[in-house]
Amino acid sequence: MSEVPAVSIQHLTRIFRLPTLRRQTVTAVQDVSFDIAAGQIYGLIGPNGSGKSTTMKVLLGLLRATEGKCSIFGRDSARVDSREDVGFLPENPYFYRHLTGRETLVFYGKLCGITGSALKDRIGELLALVDLEHAADRRLAGYSKGMLQRIGLAQAIIHRPRLVVLDEPTAGVDPGGSRKIRDLILALREQGITVILSSHLLEQVQEVCDRVGIIYKGKLVKEGALSELMSVEDQTEILLRNATPEVLKAVRALISSHPVTDLLTMGHPRTTLERLFLEVTDGSAVETREYVK
Amino acid sequence: MATDSLLSSTTVPVAVPQGAPAPTRHRIFSPGRVITIAGGTFTQLVRMKVFYFMAIFAVAVIASSFAFADLETEGQLKLLKDVSLAAMSLFSMLFAIAGTALLLPRDIEDRTIYTILCKPVPRLEYLLGKMLGVVWLILISLLLMDTLFCVVLHLKTQSIISTQMEVLSAMKFPSPDARDASISQVQETILKQGMTWNLQFGVLAVFLKAVVLTGTTLLLSTFASSTIFTIMSSLAVMIIGQAQSLARDVFLGQDASTVPRIIAGAVSLVFPDFKGFDIVDAVVSGTVVEGLIMLKMTGLTLVYMVIHLLAAYVMFSDKEI
Repeated sequence: MSEVPAVSIQHLTRIFRLPTLRRQTVTAVQDVSFDIAAGQIYGLIGPNGSGKSTTMKVLLGLLRATEGKCSIFGRDSARVDSREDVGFLPENPYFYRHLTGRETLVFYGKLCGITGSALKDRIGELLALVDLEHAADRRLAGYSKGMLQRIGLAQAIIHRPRLVVLDEPTAGVDPGGSRKIRDLILALREQGITVILSSHLLEQVQEVCDRVGIIYKGKLVKEGALSELMSVEDQTEILLRNATPEVLKAVRALISSHPVTDLLTMGHPRTTLERLFLEVTDGSAVETREYVK
Repeated sequence: MATDSLLSSTTVPVAVPQGAPAPTRHRIFSPGRVITIAGGTFTQLVRMKVFYFMAIFAVAVIASSFAFADLETEGQLKLLKDVSLAAMSLFSMLFAIAGTALLLPRDIEDRTIYTILCKPVPRLEYLLGKMLGVVWLILISLLLMDTLFCVVLHLKTQSIISTQMEVLSAMKFPSPDARDASISQVQETILKQGMTWNLQFGVLAVFLKAVVLTGTTLLLSTFASSTIFTIMSSLAVMIIGQAQSLARDVFLGQDASTVPRIIAGAVSLVFPDFKGFDIVDAVVSGTVVEGLIMLKMTGLTLVYMVIHLLAAYVMFSDKEI
């Protein structure tokens, strides 16, 4: 792991002035500090208006910090050159609806200084990666929500950034599309790319993130490795397969024989509705909708 | 359905293409990025079907070439030039104001601006690219309009010449030399009212005026709260700019002191003096415009562009988006 953190946010405070005569202010983010090591998937969660987006915007250089400092791989994030290492997918991005998927990637690729055959090859790779080869020459105006998110992800990583920031990447996307995006996020981690994921879907965050920061009312109220934050220290979970009634009876007896151990629950584990949906539809419903549109 | 199959991860291995990025050193200013943004802006405006205005222009030019056939020959050609240059001026102004006013608010509203500015793109390049995209659109549309105008004017001129030749042929002259002299004089008079390079200076002036207005509108759009406000305030600036020299003459007179003149000069930076670009009436009536005047006009346009762009950057550099 690199010694320089992928992201370092130190004592970040952002105060907005309201457009009122009384010069009122709102503190969106207050003294937030955390580091993200390279190669991690970091989940930034919190209710609406808690300061997640403001934190990300300051990190991306879209807003200036009132106080504090952000850096990306050691470079001050207010500097334009720090963005060479960053890819960003905003929440509900529209992009230029008059452009086709391919033209969109050409546009963003050229902004990142990629040209010629290198750009052409890279676009080919990305269209295959996000499964949009069939719609590459259609205008974005005809794309479904899931397709827009996928082309958005492709533009975010077109210049092979070391850090990818995803703001609600699966907002409004159906379970199949959401799963594809989740798989892409995991694939990014395998390549050593650091990912910051802001999402309201806590199950998704739990599924993919290594560390999590919880922002509430502008303050970072909890931060740490997901496994540490999630574990209930005084409880143990045992999952059995093909356990006969006799085995279960013996387990119960063993537990009850121990004076300080309590059996809290025993039963069949439940699947999630998302997994059930994907099993029964096999993703076909999603694809049909995209092709028909 | 087996529970364990549902519980197992449904992750599909996804291959992120390997390979290190082509190492690029960040350049403080990149013409390539500016051209990319300008090209994107041009495409955006073209695909908004702005060139449908060309059909209206074509109808106006062709209709004016047939209208008032009972006017004298010079009158017919003057009418055609008047209508065509007025239409070019109107459409280029419309493109400059409406096209520019739409750009920033739409990018911000659609959050497209996030995806651009979080790439290594300085805000100055973004603004310059947007401005050049609109200028490019105005240039192309004016070239198309000018080409159509030239063709129609040439055909109209030839048609009038041939009509006049028929009239002269039917007339009796004291000698063949007198007839030739008369024909030559008529031809020369008509051709002077036809297609000339002087007329192209008028088109260039229309272009330069629209470029200045594009810069002004861009500046206004960096702090305006809505597209409508930008359009209305740009129109106001245009009207003030048009009447500015007149107001200056009335209020300052010939013997005004230095301070009012400096204030007037500062005002003219914000409100460009568009009267200085109005040579259309002169070229339509056949008055020859000197090249030096065009050179000064071009220089003035560049000065306004730079001032407006830098002021827009100052406004936009810390804008919360």
